[in-house]
Order: sequence, then structure tokens, then C-alpha cells
Amino acid sequence: MLLGDFGTSYSKFLDLSAAGPEPYIISSKELGTEHRVTIATGHNGKRFTDWYVNELTVLARGGEQLIAEDDFVLLDCGSRDIKFIHYLNGRLNDMGWNSECGASMGFTIELLQRYYDLDYHELPLPTRPFSVTCGVLGMSRIFDAVVSGTPDAEAVARFVMGIAINAYRFAGSPTKLYLSGGLCDNPLFVKSLPCEVIPLGRFVLLKGLEAISSQEKK
Amino acid sequence: MNYNNVGIVGIPPLAIIQELNRHNITIHDLDTPMIKADMELTTPYLPRVYCAILRTVVLNALHLTLDAIYIDVGPGKCDCALHVATVLEDMFSMPILKTINDDMTGFGTPVSQSRMGLLQKFERITEGVKNAIKPSEPPPACIPTAGFWGVPPRDFSILDLFPDTTHIYGWTRCMENKTPADHELELGYDPDIPTVFYAQSFCAKTALARHLALKHPHGLYLDSDVTAGGSAKAKIQAFLELSGVNF
Repeated sequence: MLLGDFGTSYSKFLDLSAAGPEPYIISSKELGTEHRVTIATGHNGKRFTDWYVNELTVLARGGEQLIAEDDFVLLDCGSRDIKFIHYLNGRLNDMGWNSECGASMGFTIELLQRYYDLDYHELPLPTRPFSVTCGVLGMSRIFDAVVSGTPDAEAVARFVMGIAINAYRFAGSPTKLYLSGGLCDNPLFVKSLPCEVIPLGRFVLLKGLEAISSQEKK
Repeated sequence: MNYNNVGIVGIPPLAIIQELNRHNITIHDLDTPMIKADMELTTPYLPRVYCAILRTVVLNALHLTLDAIYIDVGPGKCDCALHVATVLEDMFSMPILKTINDDMTGFGTPVSQSRMGLLQKFERITEGVKNAIKPSEPPPACIPTAGFWGVPPRDFSILDLFPDTTHIYGWTRCMENKTPADHELELGYDPDIPTVFYAQSFCAKTALARHLALKHPHGLYLDSDVTAGGSAKAKIQAFLELSGVNF
């Protein structure tokens, strides 16, 4: 059974029928008809399956598998959108999905890295963020700052910090935040979140799909 | 009354609907999408960032041949309707008749509490604003498994995501009761069932919807504009599924 999380920039797969299944990633630009799966989720997923489960449900199921607490906030930061689930006493308490004001957040962060040839592992945490609400609108703040003499790296770091704080507020400003998605691998983004952060990596949705497939077998 | 076709906005007082019914005047509910035309046609008259229901009113009024418009501007509708009435007065030569509906005699809310597709319930309730008589055979009540609080959405497609055993609360229940200004009735909800608290984007009711969703032990606040996007629909689906609501 092949599971697929079809993100905007990257798609993640897990073949449960393989011996010792390990998740793998391919660029979504390379997706073709050979990538049909048994269960899919993600922005691009409906085109590649007959069994589609929406991302919030899958995120919640993944969180239930990976987090051994009754109260938690799990935030998923993708290329195109951000979403969170909040469990209280082992039960869903709140959720959110921001595909408009959270638009292109991860995508923009990756784009800037390439454009300015930066390594987010090396960028120091800035002293203050830009006030930005989404990737698209935030770009102009970077260009304005650079024109005013701020070094490229510092402007981008302030942008990333602003985006991180925006995502944190969107998730309800928790004291402890479980983080999912590709931005778990971005140390500047993780350090910019003003709370305790526990990165779970980019395969949380695959874990959720795995749980859904197990539930279906029962 | 020398009218053939009249538009209504909000819920004019029952006495007016009775009068229109008595003269067999055709009533068009301008709050609902009635014609397929680009919403951008309303931008010369209303801001783009504005209540989608009132933008729909203007769009309908631009395309229908009407003899008059009754527009409720009382507490059973909203301040925005008052301002849109002014805009309509300058747009058209026909009479724009402002009303204040403070009717408090309840017609009952059987459809809101019935077992029926949520979309069909909303269609019956919104259709009911054109009639002044009680339905002869009200549907029986069912035990609710989910709740929908709020106004009829501009985009009815979100209603298909709910089970048949969803009860309706908020202003839509007031609509069915023909008491649109009954604030106490509007505030009601069932704390024991998962409930989506819905308002149109840019509507003053977003504050109440969000506030009640926070008070409710298992509530989800949701707003949408002209059409409900994929994320709004996914939120509803996930909320109901993760709340253990069966279909």
C-alpha cells in the first residue's frame, strides 16, 4: 500500500508493502501518472488517488500517533499554507488552516535562500522581526530594507523571524509547539518561534495516513 | 399596490410580506444568488472588500426587473444594509423602501431541528421568507449530532458537508421563526454537540460567531466570502470527523 502526501513543492511517499518501509521525497514538479497512491493527502493529492483524506484530518491523526500528551498544539508549515490542531484533554479543541494570509510562506523562504544564496544554518537570529503577515506581502519589506542599507542576510533573517512569529500567533501563541513540515529543517525559523519548539519533521502527514490505513483495516 | 415584482433584502416585517402575498406580487429574495454574473459588476457601487450577501443584493438588483425593493435596516439585519439602501436609492429610480422588522411573534423552528439535508433545510428556510403563512406539515424534530450556527452562507456548498441530523442555530433560526431581531434566540446553541459558528467575511456577526465558538465547549469558528475555499471546507470536514460525528 502506497501512501502519498502531495505538497506544493515536495511530495512525500511511504510504501507500506516494502520491507522496512522508509519515507522518501520527490519534487512535486516531477510528479507523473506513475505516482498514483492508495491514500493521498495534500494540496496536489486528489489527482493521484481514489482515496483522498484532507490535510487537517491527517495532521491530527499524525499528531495523535507521534505526541504522547493529551494537551498539545501541532503546527504544520508547508510551502503554500499553514495549519494547526490543538488538542485539549485528548480531544480536538481548535484548528485552523490559513491558505490565504499564510500564503506561500515556506515557498518564499526557500525562494529567498536561493535568490540571495544564503544558508539558514549560518544566519544568526536577528534582534527584531519584520511585521509580516504572508510571504508575498513580506517580500516588499525585504527589498525596502535592502535598499535602505540593511545587509541581505539580515533582511531575510528578519523576514523569516516575522513569518515565524506570525505562524506562532496563528497557532494560538502556545508555550510549547510541535512543529511539522519542511521548515523543521530550517534552524533560523525554528529558533525564531518564541516558545519551546519540538520539531517532528516532514513526515507527520505520512504518519497520519498510516494511522488512517490501519484504522480502515480494523 | 401597483407592483408586479418586488425585491426584498433581509426580512421585512410580516405585515409587509402578508400585503405582498395578498396582492400576488412576486417576491425576489435579493440576498440569495439569483443570477450568474460576475461579482465585479458591483465594484462601481460597493467596495470589493464588503459583505458578499450585500454585494449579491446589488448584483441581483442590477439584473432583475423590479418595481420596488423592501430593505430591512433594523436590528434584524445590519448597519451595512442601511448604507446599501442609500446606494440603491442613488442607483435606481424605483422606490427603495426601508423597513425595521421588530416582529417578536414566533412561527416556530421545526425545519431547523429536523432530520433533512442541511442544504435542503436552508433552502426551505430562505424560501420561507417570501411567505406569510405557516407551513402546514412541519417536519418532526430529530436528535442533533452537529450544529450550524449563523446566517445562510453566500456559498451553500459548505452545507453539503454536514450530516442530516445537524440542527440550525443563530440568525437562520431567527429567520425561520420570522423574528430576525430576536437577539436572545440568535445567541442560542447546544453545548453538547459539535457546532460550526459561521459568519460571512466582513460581516459584523463575525465577532459574535467567534465569541460564541470560543465559549462553546466544542465549537469551530468559520467565515467565508463569496465562495468557500478548499481550506474552509476541509476545516468543516476535519472538525466533524475528528469530533466523532457520524454520517
